Amino acid sequence: MAGPLAPSWTPETTVEERDDLDRPWVTIVWNDPVNLMTYVTFVLQELFGYDEPTATTLMLQVHHEGRAVVSSGPREKMEHDTSRLHAYGLWASYQRDT
Amino acid sequence: MKPFRSARGGDVVARMERAEVGIVSLLLDQLEQLLDADADDVGGDPVMARLLPDGHRGDPELAADYRDLTEASLRSGKADDLATVRASLPAEGGEVRLDADQAAAWLRTSNDLRLALGTRLEISEETEPPDEITGEEDQQLAVYYWLTALQGSLVDALVAGRSGRS
Repeated sequence: MAGPLAPSWTPETTVEERDDLDRPWVTIVWNDPVNLMTYVTFVLQELFGYDEPTATTLMLQVHHEGRAVVSSGPREKMEHDTSRLHAYGLWASYQRDT
Repeated sequence: MKPFRSARGGDVVARMERAEVGIVSLLLDQLEQLLDADADDVGGDPVMARLLPDGHRGDPELAADYRDLTEASLRSGKADDLATVRASLPAEGGEVRLDADQAAAWLRTSNDLRLALGTRLEISEETEPPDEITGEEDQQLAVYYWLTALQGSLVDALVAGRSGRS
C-alpha cells in the first residue's frame, strides 16, 4: 500500500502472535457428576442453536470422553461462550486449540 | 411435589407442598449468603470454585483476566435468578407457574443448588439415593435427589413445550 495514508511502519508479528492467528481458540465442556444429561443437551441447544442430534452427540462425548469442544473462534468469543456456559453451571473453559 | 409439565401458552407448571417450599427457600438463603460472602471467607471453598470456575486451565494470567471480565456479571445474574425463583414460590405451597424467562432462572438456580449440594456431598457418578434416612448426610442427599427430580422435570417440560411450538 502506498500514498499519504499508508502506514509508515509495519507492526512486527511475534512467533507467538502468528501462532495465535494460525490456531483458533476453543470452548470446552468438561464432564462432571452433577449436571443432568438432558440439562446439558438442552443448554447446548439454547446457547449455540445446535439441533437436538448435534447437542446430544456433544453431550455424550462429554459424558464418555470427559470433554467436548462446543465452539471455536477468536479468543474474545470463546471467553464469552465460556461465561454463558458458566451462567448455566456447565463446567467449561477456553483455550488455544491443540 | 407434582413435577413440572408443559402448559398452555408456553408456561410450565408444577405443584409444591408447603414443606418443599420451605426447603427450597432455606437453600436459596444459603446460596445467597455464600454468594454475598466476603471473598476472604470463601476463597478456596470448593463450592465457590464450582459456582464460579476458572475460565482457563493452566494459565493463571488468562484465568485472572477472565475473572475480571466476567465475574461481576455472573454474580449479578445469579442474584437476579435467585430473586426470580424466590418471588415465584408459593409461601403456603401450591402452584408454581413459570413463563420462559422465569423457567430459565429456575433452571440456572436449581442447577446452582445441585452443584453446591453435590460438591458438599462429594457426589460422584456412582452415588445413589439413600435407601433410608439415618443421619443428616442422608437427609441432604435426599434433598439433592429431590432437586434432581424437580430440575429434570423442568428440562423435560421445556423440551416438550419447545417441540409443541415448532
